[in-house]
Amino acid sequence: MGLREYTIRRIIELIISLFLFSTISFIVFRMMPGDPSSLYLEEGILEPGMREAIRHMLGLDKPLWEQYLIYLKNTFTFTFGISFLYNKPAIEIIFSRKLLNTLALLLTSHGLAIVFGILLGVWAAWRRGKILDISSMIGAFILYSLPVFWVGIVMLLLFSVKMGLFPLSGTITAGVTYSNIFEYMADYIHHLILPATAITLIRLGGDYLITRNTMITIIGEDYIKTALAKGVPEKIVVWKHAARNAVLPIVTWVGLEIAVIFSGAVLTESVFSWDGIGKLIYDAALWRDYPVLEAAFFIIIFVTLLANFLTDLTYASLDPRVKYD
Amino acid sequence: MTEVSMKNRKKMYGGRWRGVKEFLKVYRKNKLGMIGLILIIIYVFIAIFAPYITPYNPYEKTGKPFIPPSPEHIFGTDELGRDIFSLTIYGTRISLFVGILATLLSAVIGSAVGILSGYFGGLIDDLLMRITDLFLIIPGIPFLIVLSVILGSNIWNIITVIAIISWPSTARLVRSETLSLKSRTFIEAAKLAGATDTYILTRHILVNVLPLISASIILTITRAIILEAGLSFLGLGDPTKISWGTMLYFADRYGAMFSSNPYYIIIPGVALSVLGLAFVFVSYAVDEIVNPRLRTRRLR
Repeated sequence: MGLREYTIRRIIELIISLFLFSTISFIVFRMMPGDPSSLYLEEGILEPGMREAIRHMLGLDKPLWEQYLIYLKNTFTFTFGISFLYNKPAIEIIFSRKLLNTLALLLTSHGLAIVFGILLGVWAAWRRGKILDISSMIGAFILYSLPVFWVGIVMLLLFSVKMGLFPLSGTITAGVTYSNIFEYMADYIHHLILPATAITLIRLGGDYLITRNTMITIIGEDYIKTALAKGVPEKIVVWKHAARNAVLPIVTWVGLEIAVIFSGAVLTESVFSWDGIGKLIYDAALWRDYPVLEAAFFIIIFVTLLANFLTDLTYASLDPRVKYD
Repeated sequence: MTEVSMKNRKKMYGGRWRGVKEFLKVYRKNKLGMIGLILIIIYVFIAIFAPYITPYNPYEKTGKPFIPPSPEHIFGTDELGRDIFSLTIYGTRISLFVGILATLLSAVIGSAVGILSGYFGGLIDDLLMRITDLFLIIPGIPFLIVLSVILGSNIWNIITVIAIISWPSTARLVRSETLSLKSRTFIEAAKLAGATDTYILTRHILVNVLPLISASIILTITRAIILEAGLSFLGLGDPTKISWGTMLYFADRYGAMFSSNPYYIIIPGVALSVLGLAFVFVSYAVDEIVNPRLRTRRLR
């Protein structure tokens, strides 16, 4: 099987996975107890007669199979219906500032964690067994065992409440008008620092350990010994020969972790009231906002599958050792 | 395969008890492993004897709200005037219980799927691995939120839900170990001698795979404990039970940050992180001994 057949096969698999996922999520979401109308009823917002009208408006009174077909059609055309809560198309709510906020938070924090993780990991692997290596490993274990939301609260307690250095919540200061874009950016970054640091700290441990262990394997390879024996300076061997090869596994690992990364975003965004996708999912689940939940899930899963697909393809075309099976 | 693990396998084959003894002998030399183990023993002790250690009933109001640390309340009180120290001690029970039970459940599902998939191959393998892959990319916390809204917040649901999202990584690991074991000569020999599939799976494959994946299973406990705390922190925990996550949820909600007792926030988190760390240490030590090859494969 050549690269072309392999690509076609993977695309078909991707579509099958997406189809299975949308079916699972349909079943899961329709199993939720109560629909939005009953929730409003409990809250005493609605008069009993209006409930049927709302169910009809939301399409909840149709037979289940009809709801399913409508759902599938909508999913694959990226129309997820109208949000019960915001009364706007669900997709519009996701592809809004919320997505940008989440991306800003995740890209900054994971970018920093990867860069520092790789630098520290490479350095520690080269100094393997020395006291600094061992203590940084214990440090990585500690970071790995910290719950991200707790780190967030403690940071808020220390830096916002006690020292007053950073804002307590949100992405920008409420009610402020900015005279120019730079003022806006500065305010945004000021709000971003704490949540981004919390995620960076938590992820640093894992990224560091992966790099360190990949590096230790690579350092044992013959070509590294050869380069050293040839008289190539140590620095060049470490950063040019060894570290380059250690980068690929960690990037792959992060690619596979997109689902986990979104999980972390929910907790961090709740702690810092960061107006992003994570907080959106949490609110949507509490208020039974099916269209938003379904849309958010589908998009996270779509992105994860796509990332895995692209990683595999890149590997297949770059590495002659990959077997297409 | 490295020297150590081959040796261990032979030992396990010669007599299981001798293997365990040998393992303990090596384990005792691992400092981090011993620190982790001692910490876990302390936590288990605290969980069992909680009523005898706590100075107050954790469910009862024993002082004014948000008292800072004092001789009567060493970590102060919460928003209802309950003793933080006593609450934290009782919280140990839920974390250990959920962490260990959810991990066991996920290990059982993961091992079953992995072993069947690796041993039988073909269509069964394709099907099971497709399902595993699906579960592997489900975003954990969002999925947990949705499921706990569906199933309701009681401790058994939380355990089930954590197990559901934790088993796929175990399944993948077991499968790859089963694949490499399957082609070994002793399995071939057993087949030639007329052993049934069930016999080979339970007596040969399972007992040889389990030690290899034990480190990864121990690491799952840390993840499960943090997941339970995270879920409870979002207000989706079992409201009838005291857990560190639930404490932090109330601490955050009732503004403990601005109160006179910030220990309400510090103490449950420290208890949680140290327990998580203890399992990471043990997992690391077990990994070093049993299978250096796997070192950080499942660290996430």
